Amino acid sequence: MIEVRNLKKVYNGITVVDVPTLQINKGESVGLVGNNGAGKTTLFRMVLDLIRAESGEILSNGEVVAGHEKWKDYTAAYLDEGFLIDYLTPEEYFYFIGGLHNLNRAHVDDVLTGLTDFFNGEILKKGKYIRDLSKGNQCKVGVAACLLQEPQLLMLDEPFANIDPSTQFRLKNLLKDLNKNKGVTTIVSSHDLNHITDVCDRILLMEKGVIIKDIATSSSTLNELEAYFGVEVAPSEKES
Amino acid sequence: MITTFLGHELKAFWRSKNTGKSIAIRVVMALLILYLFGCILFIGLILDKFLAGAFPHDDIVISFCGILLLYFLFDLVMRMQLQELPTLRVQPYLHLPIKRNTVVLYLAFTAMLSAFNLWPVILFFPFILKIILTDSGGLPALAFILAILGFMLFNNYLALFIKRKANLNGWVFLVFVALLALIITGDFRFHLYSIRNVSYLYFGHLLGKPALALLPVVLAIAMYYINFAYLKQNLYLEELSSRKASAYKSSTEFPLLSRFGKVGDLVANELKLIFRNKRPRSALVMGLFFMFYGLIFYTNSHYGETWYIFVGMFMTGIFIINYGQFMYSWQGAHFDGILVSKINFRDFLKAKYLLFTMVSTVAFILTTPYAYFGWRIVLVHFVMYLWNIGVNTTIVLFFANRNAKSINLSKGASFNWEGVGATQMLISFPLMITPYVIYLPFSLFKHANIGLTMLAATGIIFVLTRDFWVKKLEEDFIEKRYTIAEGFRNK
Repeated sequence: MIEVRNLKKVYNGITVVDVPTLQINKGESVGLVGNNGAGKTTLFRMVLDLIRAESGEILSNGEVVAGHEKWKDYTAAYLDEGFLIDYLTPEEYFYFIGGLHNLNRAHVDDVLTGLTDFFNGEILKKGKYIRDLSKGNQCKVGVAACLLQEPQLLMLDEPFANIDPSTQFRLKNLLKDLNKNKGVTTIVSSHDLNHITDVCDRILLMEKGVIIKDIATSSSTLNELEAYFGVEVAPSEKES
Repeated sequence: MITTFLGHELKAFWRSKNTGKSIAIRVVMALLILYLFGCILFIGLILDKFLAGAFPHDDIVISFCGILLLYFLFDLVMRMQLQELPTLRVQPYLHLPIKRNTVVLYLAFTAMLSAFNLWPVILFFPFILKIILTDSGGLPALAFILAILGFMLFNNYLALFIKRKANLNGWVFLVFVALLALIITGDFRFHLYSIRNVSYLYFGHLLGKPALALLPVVLAIAMYYINFAYLKQNLYLEELSSRKASAYKSSTEFPLLSRFGKVGDLVANELKLIFRNKRPRSALVMGLFFMFYGLIFYTNSHYGETWYIFVGMFMTGIFIINYGQFMYSWQGAHFDGILVSKINFRDFLKAKYLLFTMVSTVAFILTTPYAYFGWRIVLVHFVMYLWNIGVNTTIVLFFANRNAKSINLSKGASFNWEGVGATQMLISFPLMITPYVIYLPFSLFKHANIGLTMLAATGIIFVLTRDFWVKKLEEDFIEKRYTIAEGFRNK
């Protein structure tokens, strides 16, 4: 699905992403973890052709992403609020996104009805513009807009960060369902190691722009990650 | 503590993106402010001659006393519209161990730092020093100065108080504005009373009894304390923020646009952007005011047809110029979303063309009443309308590809320099000069009609070849989009 070759991004002389090779296959569920500044969001943005790579390239379904638009037909992503048109009501936004994919209103309404639980009564018919919603609710709008596009590739950047526990739980089930039953390739980043190991079959651990670990999730993965992050934060504790 | 606050305030001013990073912008900004300042000072200095001209039958001191209250009435109206609440800036201090009194004192104090509190000083003080000081002596002059300062501060705190109240209850604002409107129409339309006479009644007596100057001072102090007490009691975020308590926001549709398919959807979104955000909305309203631009030029035979080209271009194309010069910046906040979603950039550009054409058409129709000054004016308007939707739209979009400064949509437009950069300076040259490059060679040799025909023809050719320009602009955009998107991300 996604193939990365010799990808490099440099800001002010500091390499923020350096991925010599990475292959993500169709139907995989990939989790991206790493401390702040590890390069997760930058990698996401490069996959979405939002920033120019210094060198190297990214292929989506065998086609170079940069300069092409075919990938937009089957890719949906929500990285931050910058993806939302914040002066629209959620309904207007959903119809707009649906319209881009030639979905009629009835179809959009249909999908939204399926998300009633996920919305928890906080999104639709509230008479608010998206800019007036809380960050968590904005995240729900972003995720729902992604689902509306019926993507083959779904990318979410820290979707668990602002949403309430119930929604986190529902989002996890949604992601699992999409991946297992509908064959959607998912790439999700998170700082919550429990969630990420729960949802994803494969974990990529980034540090200073480099993918230093690429592990298939097993029962020991969580411990392995906790050990890494624990050690990184306070190396002195280990010695004592 | 107050000095620390002031220090932070200065830092906030100099470090804000609003202030502009480049020296050129600062220089232009300073020049503009100086110019405005100079204009008002000039009016202040010649106020005595001006009054003698405006009211030739009255003594100038009487007319001066008469206009003062009138000025403060209009001052209040302007303040209600334009003066910003200096409030949300204290948010980061509220949870810190700082006394409420200090915070409130600071708020009440900085409320005085408004340009509105400068105008009366430079407008009226020269007159007071020139005429009243020499005619009536030092004490009455001092009384006038005190009284004017008193009314000024009273207005200042009254406007802020009403605005704060209005944040919680929108009716307060409406009632107050209605009251002001009634007072003004009561004088100027129904002639029930004369504000000038009332004004003279007070300020006239000031000459004889300087002690009366204490009245407005007491009023100002009272208003200040009302403000202070109110602020102290209501030092909570939702009461402080200038955001109005939000009413139910319903979804809107533009059925007419849906026949244009995806392009129509994009235009509908942009119309919502304009109507639902403060800054683009004020750009549109300013455009409406420009519809009166013709009255300045057409009523004066001094201006010939060469000027009409300019006026016609502005009136039918003000939206293209005023809104278009910040193109894509308006959408800076969700530009990533636009790039990632399934929007063909060609559609995106076509939507801009459609929007410009629609608004320009409306503007052209609105200006047809200028036929009163001769049908030739409407003809010139029509030619410039064709020019606008043909050439100027393309120029504006060409520059849009070179603009990467994001804009905060929720701020007002007056004296807002956010998003202003070299692009906006550069864009005015081709917009102003190109029509004359085509028109002047013909008109100078007495073939103005051929000049107009050439302008119209160029406009039509550009309209007919739009697809070509869209393609060129798209190629250009694909090359520049990373830079644009990155600029918008660095808010």
